[in-house]
Amino acid sequence: MTFRNTTRSWGTLSKALHWIIVLLIINQWVIAQWAESSTGFAKLKTLGYHKSFGMTILMLAIIRLAWRWMNPVPDLSAETKPWERTLAKISHVLLYGLIFAMPLTGWLMSSAKTYSVSWFNLFAFPNLVGKSDRVYDLTHDLHHLLFAVLVTVAAVHIAGALKHQFIDKNDVLKRMLPFGGVK
Amino acid sequence: MTNYLPALTVGAALSAAACSAAENPAPAAKLTAAPAGTSTTVPAAAGVPHYVQAPAGSTLTFSFIQAGAENQGVFKQFATELNYDEKNLAAGSLKVAVQTGSFDTQDKDRNDTLAGADLLDPKKYPTAQFVATSLTRGAKGIEAAGKLTLHGVTKDLKLPLDIRTTATGAEISGETTIKRLDYGVGTGDWKSTEWVGDEVKLQYKVALTRTAK
Repeated sequence: MTFRNTTRSWGTLSKALHWIIVLLIINQWVIAQWAESSTGFAKLKTLGYHKSFGMTILMLAIIRLAWRWMNPVPDLSAETKPWERTLAKISHVLLYGLIFAMPLTGWLMSSAKTYSVSWFNLFAFPNLVGKSDRVYDLTHDLHHLLFAVLVTVAAVHIAGALKHQFIDKNDVLKRMLPFGGVK
Repeated sequence: MTNYLPALTVGAALSAAACSAAENPAPAAKLTAAPAGTSTTVPAAAGVPHYVQAPAGSTLTFSFIQAGAENQGVFKQFATELNYDEKNLAAGSLKVAVQTGSFDTQDKDRNDTLAGADLLDPKKYPTAQFVATSLTRGAKGIEAAGKLTLHGVTKDLKLPLDIRTTATGAEISGETTIKRLDYGVGTGDWKSTEWVGDEVKLQYKVALTRTAK
C-alpha cells in the first residue's frame, strides 16, 4: 500500500480521507438527532460540536479534492459497463459536491441566525452573511434536503461497491478498504 | 412659530453665555436660581452643569463569547444623568438606569434563553443601575468609580468615560468588561463558561442634552 494513489489502487491518504469523512458524516447525523431534540444549553452545546465537526469535514473535503487532482485515480475494472461508469461518475461528483455543500449550507444558516461557527471553541469562522430570517430558512431547508440527497447517493455508491465485490467479483471495493489492498 | 420663539431665545442666550463665559459654568448656575449670596466666580456643586440623555443617538452594546464566537446584543432602553464640570470632577456624578428587558441579541431563541430565570431574568430584576457620586481623573482619562447593581447584585465598577461637551450637550463614550458570574448571571448549566464566556464587554455611547436640574 502506498501513500499516493496508483492507477490500480487508492493510496493511504485517499483511503484515510474517505473513511474519516464517512465516520464524521455518521457522527454528524447522530449529533444532529440529539440537537434537534434538545433545547437551551444542551442545544447550544450539541450544535457547537455539530458545527465543529462540520467544519472539519469541509477542511478535509478541500484536502481531499486537492489530493484527487494531484494523484492518479484508479481505473474501474475493464468489464465495467458504460452505464455503470456513468452512474459511478455522477454519484462521485455528487458526493464530492455534497461534502462541500453540507458544511457550507450549515455555515450559511448559522451565520444568518447570528450563531457564528467556531472550531471546538478554539477559533471562530467569520459569518458569511448578516442576520437574515429568509436566508436562515432557505439554507436550513437546503441543509436538510441535501442530507436526504446524500443518503440517496450514498446508497447508490454502497450498492455499486457491493455489486463490484459480490456480483462482478473484482477489486473495486477491496482497493478502498482501510487494510485491504491491491498491488 | 410663537411657540418656538421663547425656546430659541433661551437657546441663543445659553449659547451666547457659553461663548462669552468660556468654560465658566456660572451662567448655568444663574439659570438654576442660585441662592442669594452665592459667589459667581467659584461654582458650587449646585452649579455643575447637568445633562440628561437625549431622546436619540445613544447605544449600549454588550458582547460575549458564545460557542467560541463573539455575539452582540444591545439594550434599547436606558436613561443617563450626568453632572459634569471638567474643572470640578469631584462634584460630578453619573447615574445610568437600564431596562434589562429591553435587550435584543438579533435572535428570538437567544433572546428567550437570555431572558430566562437562569440568566438575565428581567422579570425578577427589571432594572440594572450604575451610580457614581463623583468623577476622578485616572490614567486613561476620566473615570466614574461607582456601583453597578445587576441581577440583584451590587459591585464596585469603574467606568472609563470619554466626555465631549458642546454648548448644549455632551457625549459620553467608552467601554468596560464585567464578569457575568460576579452578578449571578448564569445558574444551572449556564454557570459553565465553556459555551458562554464569563466576560461581557459593555460599550456605550450616550448623547446628552444639557438641562437645568
